[in-house]
Amino acid sequence: MIQYLVSILTEGAIFGIMALGLNVIWGWSGDFDLAYYGYVALGAYMTLVLTIGPPFPPTEYILGLQLPYLVAVPLAMLSSAIMGLIVGLIALRHLRGIYFSIVTLGAVYVLYVMAGQYVPLFNGYNGLYGLFNPMGAALGLDFQSYQYFFLGFCLFIFILVLIFMARVSGSRFGLALRSLREDERAAAAFGRDIYLLKLKAYVLGAAFGGLAGGLFAAYLSAFNPSAWAPIEAIILYSAVLVGGKGNIKGVVLGVVIMIMLIQESTRFLPEFPGNPAVVPALREMVVGAVLVLFLLFRPQGLLPERRYVDRFSYDNIDPGVAVLPAQAREASSHLPSPAQDGEQSSSTALSPLSVAESVAEAPVHQPLAQDRTEVPASEAAVLIVEGLYKHFGGVAAVDNCSFRVQKGQVTGLIGPNGAGKSTAIDLISGFKLQDAGSVVFEDTAIQGMPPHRIARLGLIRTFQTPREWPGLSVLENVLLARWDPEREALWRGIIGLRRFHHLTAKSELDRAREILAEFGLSKLSNERAGNLSGGQKRLVEFARIRMAEPKLVILDEPMGGVNPVLGERMAKAIDGFIISGTSVIIVEHNLPFIERVAHNVIVMSQGSVVATGPFESLRSNQSVIDAYLGEVPV
Amino acid sequence: MNEVLLTLGFGLVTAAILALSAVAFTLEYAVTNVANLSHGEILTIGAYAAYVIQRATGNILFAALGAAVAGGIIALVMYTAVIDIFVRRGIGTMSTLIATLGMSFVIQNILVIMFGAANVAYTIPQSAPQQIGPFLWTSTEEEIIISALCITAILYVIITHTKFGKALRAVFQNRSLARVTGINAQLVAAVTWFLAGMVAGYAGFILAESVGTFSPYFGFSFFLITLTAAVAGGLGKPFSTMAGALIVGIALEFTGGYISASYELAFAFAILAIIILVRPRGLFTKAGRTLFE
Repeated sequence: MIQYLVSILTEGAIFGIMALGLNVIWGWSGDFDLAYYGYVALGAYMTLVLTIGPPFPPTEYILGLQLPYLVAVPLAMLSSAIMGLIVGLIALRHLRGIYFSIVTLGAVYVLYVMAGQYVPLFNGYNGLYGLFNPMGAALGLDFQSYQYFFLGFCLFIFILVLIFMARVSGSRFGLALRSLREDERAAAAFGRDIYLLKLKAYVLGAAFGGLAGGLFAAYLSAFNPSAWAPIEAIILYSAVLVGGKGNIKGVVLGVVIMIMLIQESTRFLPEFPGNPAVVPALREMVVGAVLVLFLLFRPQGLLPERRYVDRFSYDNIDPGVAVLPAQAREASSHLPSPAQDGEQSSSTALSPLSVAESVAEAPVHQPLAQDRTEVPASEAAVLIVEGLYKHFGGVAAVDNCSFRVQKGQVTGLIGPNGAGKSTAIDLISGFKLQDAGSVVFEDTAIQGMPPHRIARLGLIRTFQTPREWPGLSVLENVLLARWDPEREALWRGIIGLRRFHHLTAKSELDRAREILAEFGLSKLSNERAGNLSGGQKRLVEFARIRMAEPKLVILDEPMGGVNPVLGERMAKAIDGFIISGTSVIIVEHNLPFIERVAHNVIVMSQGSVVATGPFESLRSNQSVIDAYLGEVPV
Repeated sequence: MNEVLLTLGFGLVTAAILALSAVAFTLEYAVTNVANLSHGEILTIGAYAAYVIQRATGNILFAALGAAVAGGIIALVMYTAVIDIFVRRGIGTMSTLIATLGMSFVIQNILVIMFGAANVAYTIPQSAPQQIGPFLWTSTEEEIIISALCITAILYVIITHTKFGKALRAVFQNRSLARVTGINAQLVAAVTWFLAGMVAGYAGFILAESVGTFSPYFGFSFFLITLTAAVAGGLGKPFSTMAGALIVGIALEFTGGYISASYELAFAFAILAIIILVRPRGLFTKAGRTLFE
């Protein structure tokens, strides 16, 4: 009985490592990877061929070395990681969702067929055997005490893996990984290299699969294709799902329930007379049914993924101070800003219409007009678009579009539906590739760059529908807006000095809290972002931009479905962007709003720019009227 | 005898079976947006239903009909008991995909309990192959090709020339919009699954006839090839899928015939990987240039 218990616990520890590796790929990165069990199998096979010595005919297999077990297992991990890298390079590049799953299913099937059919590789269906009690002889252990020793060894490694995973889970790397799962476009728009991040996670997961495989090989002392039949993989997936993917404790709980309890308890069922296949078949049916039922009734698992809960009290934060970041507060002393000039000037800054009226009498109150006269236009441009062209089929969505955007201004980009505004934004921000033309942002040619590189240069965009990371908290959404390559490195998350880690995190956390207070979101700080209303999600987007402090932000229809009161708040926020040194492009159909916030307006129609200038000057512009109302025959 | 033509002849038989299986899979996908990983089990059930009926009656025509009806019923059960609940609850397509995988294991093991895990075979007298044009086919293989052509023709008429076909295409394009315009999307989906199940059940029967023996696991291994064909043609598009099946079926027969049949699945995957990388939305579409395009 004790021996049986030892054996189950050993198996549990090994499957625990397997499940934790799968959790990186499926739980955090969010990719349903059907190839995972292949990495476990490869790890097991490699461990065997590295330790059991040369083959005796008719047995055939590659390598046949006699390395010490403790050398073989890291090498097995490495080979699984390399295999994962190859599959990941192919499958993660363009594929998501079911296409990704299909390709990984194919990959594991190829490995399965090769291992089973191509005898010179791993001895075909007969498999490999002969790894008896590794490390046992060196330690002088007999069979009985070896069982205890190996249990201890597996538990020790399991705990190491558990600590490792806990650190990854709490690191910025882990958070960034989860943001990819929640919304890749938003992650790219805030500077995350999704391909690289996902690839890192995938290889990491595969390596842990290999580690578990290495232990599994020693536990079974042999390995063959029946040890990794599809059902074995399904049990592993069901364990992760039942426990709760994304939650380390949940994953371990799932292993206890599915592998140690359900799988083991069915061993004690009496054998069915006449049909020995019934009991294993019943077990597999239970696993399949559990999978379906959990997906239907508790898809988050028994222990759902946990969000970071911030216990900070917002009572001491003064929203008035938080409005401006430090350098802007300093800068504002030189500028006649709303904060200094009181009510009158604040209304002028907010409303270009009244600005336009006051230009003649009091140009002093117009900081931005002043800028334009002082600085030559070419130097003041933050973005220069030249001859941009993009067609879909026979339709030229953007056709020879050229414009420049002044630094420190709000530039409205308007035009009727189908004018090519959204496509132009996608081209500028790298979400679509242009067919021709150039985009220069702050003296850097950015056309053809991937979105994350453009974002890292300081050009951040929003989307027509709010793209929050729904499964993360509001605070996490805001924190992640700032891309920090130092702190987001995987190694930093794992071995980074805690104090350093903590300190930088603190200033960042303070800033995020300030911003949440500024946007009136402090009460929602720990709320799941996906639960917010449409308007609140817009505010979260604005808060993220505030946190990221880009040089230029492109707002794509921020007023869509937003009530007038919130509109007021957004106008103020846009004003705040300008003061803190972020230039703004705003695409909007709400023309009164544009009139209110934009210093300069670009009008697009049929893919190109038809007019530019202050809003007032466009009212009488014939081509603008034509663009909106259709050409009127004279 | 030209060896290339001979292989092409076998390839056409494989392609005919594959086309039916793949078109059924793609129809299931079209109306529910779910890649049904338990699709292979519909084929298996078709094969077993034909086996039971053939043993009871000795009539091969009844067996074929039985395979189709059993396939239709099991597909309808899959739809109403699992898929529809997932779709109505708005559970994501990935979760539904995983659920179909679970369903596949449940069905496989019910079959293991009922029929045992060992291989079984039909008792059909094999005729000698005859020369048909340039190809060498047995009478069974002729039946397979002719019936596949007939079923394709019937599906073509249903999808392009009936009101139901129009509704089906509408549900594929935009389920919510179709519902707003008064189409009972749920009914359309249920009928489509029944129809697809009949085609798949029959495909299971002819596959079993062509392979010779089958077990509870045989549909699942044919499923990867089905998936290759369906993705090659473009998921959700029945006739592109058939073209994809033709290409994949013949390609497999050539690689299998000239290299080794045991690696057929590996070749299927190689083809699939290349197609997905070059044309993720199917061979007959244009791929976007970035991940987001």
